Amino acid sequence: MSESIVRTRRWTRVEYDKLIDAGFLGPGAKIELLAGQLCVSESQNSSHAMAISLSLDALHKALAPRWHVRVQLPIALDDESEPEPDLAVVSGGPRDYPDHPSRPALVVEIADSSLALDRTHKGSLYARARLSEYWIVNLTDRVLEVYRNPGPDAGTPYGWAYRVVLTLGPDERVAPLVASSARILVADLLP
Amino acid sequence: MQTTYPRIRRWTRVEYDRLIDQGVFQPGEPLELLAGQLVLREPQGDPHSLAVELVQEALRAAFGPEWRVRTQLPVALDDESEPEPDVSVAAGRVHRGAEAKPSHLALVVEVAASSLTLDREHKGSLYARARVADYWIVNLADHVLEIYRDPAPDPSASYGWTYRSIQSLTVGQHVSPLAAPTSHIAVGDLLP
Repeated sequence: MSESIVRTRRWTRVEYDKLIDAGFLGPGAKIELLAGQLCVSESQNSSHAMAISLSLDALHKALAPRWHVRVQLPIALDDESEPEPDLAVVSGGPRDYPDHPSRPALVVEIADSSLALDRTHKGSLYARARLSEYWIVNLTDRVLEVYRNPGPDAGTPYGWAYRVVLTLGPDERVAPLVASSARILVADLLP
Repeated sequence: MQTTYPRIRRWTRVEYDRLIDQGVFQPGEPLELLAGQLVLREPQGDPHSLAVELVQEALRAAFGPEWRVRTQLPVALDDESEPEPDVSVAAGRVHRGAEAKPSHLALVVEVAASSLTLDREHKGSLYARARVADYWIVNLADHVLEIYRDPAPDPSASYGWTYRSIQSLTVGQHVSPLAAPTSHIAVGDLLP
């Protein structure tokens, strides 16, 4: 259905949380609220699942105990978005968040078939929310894509983009912005 | 399916009715469920509302008391669609205990000003898929009545179906609904 002709109703995050509480959205397909739209996530294959475990392990080793890593849990990103990134790094521990965290220090998506979506749509959405760092573990090309420095960009789905893009191969190392002394080997994130 | 757009969650008609019953939407939200999508209706201008009333009067007269001529009310089109056509006609008198949302429609009419593409391509394909035999668009921009008949599969259409017969009638011409073949409606009576 071409989006230009049909204007679909958008949901606020408050409405979305009510839908969840009223049992409209589960169980079944995994849903995320992205810019007012209820989006269906791709189902995960085994390498996607393994990459999540590997990245969780690597980030936890590099960042604990000051930071903790959430796996596929909701982020209160903005008034009309509640994505569930594959990984999100937030300060402190689980008990510090009676409500969903809104400003993770780093979000990570594992991408195979979802690569274009993760780059264009999620990238623009995370940039709009001024998340300072976004990684894509790109399983297709076996690289880590590091996105930083969000800024306005009219040509993108949500009007924002990351101005700095680094592509790192398996032998390279990366340090999250919030832990500059860390040295994570990209190969350790890849299945 | 490889796509650069997020896949939007689709709603069934049963879920949509539950959303309405539980007061999830704001009162008066102009929504329709079209093929699982919650689609916003455009606000109506004066010519649009006048045309809706003209169509309603003309169809009441043409169909007579044994038919329900309904204006901007929901119809149970299919499992994932509950549109509110500008005017729809279903067999039988309305009575207590009648079907609140008829599913078998003898005629559907949309009045189109800015919504012409939506009414032609999307709603046309959706009504064709539901085998609505007679679909009219009162085209305010070109001052004509478009008659769509003979629904058939068409893989290139929005919902896989289209109307094979399309006629465009102007002021001075007459039309007879398929379900009321002895009635003759002047096209000029439908246009504001």
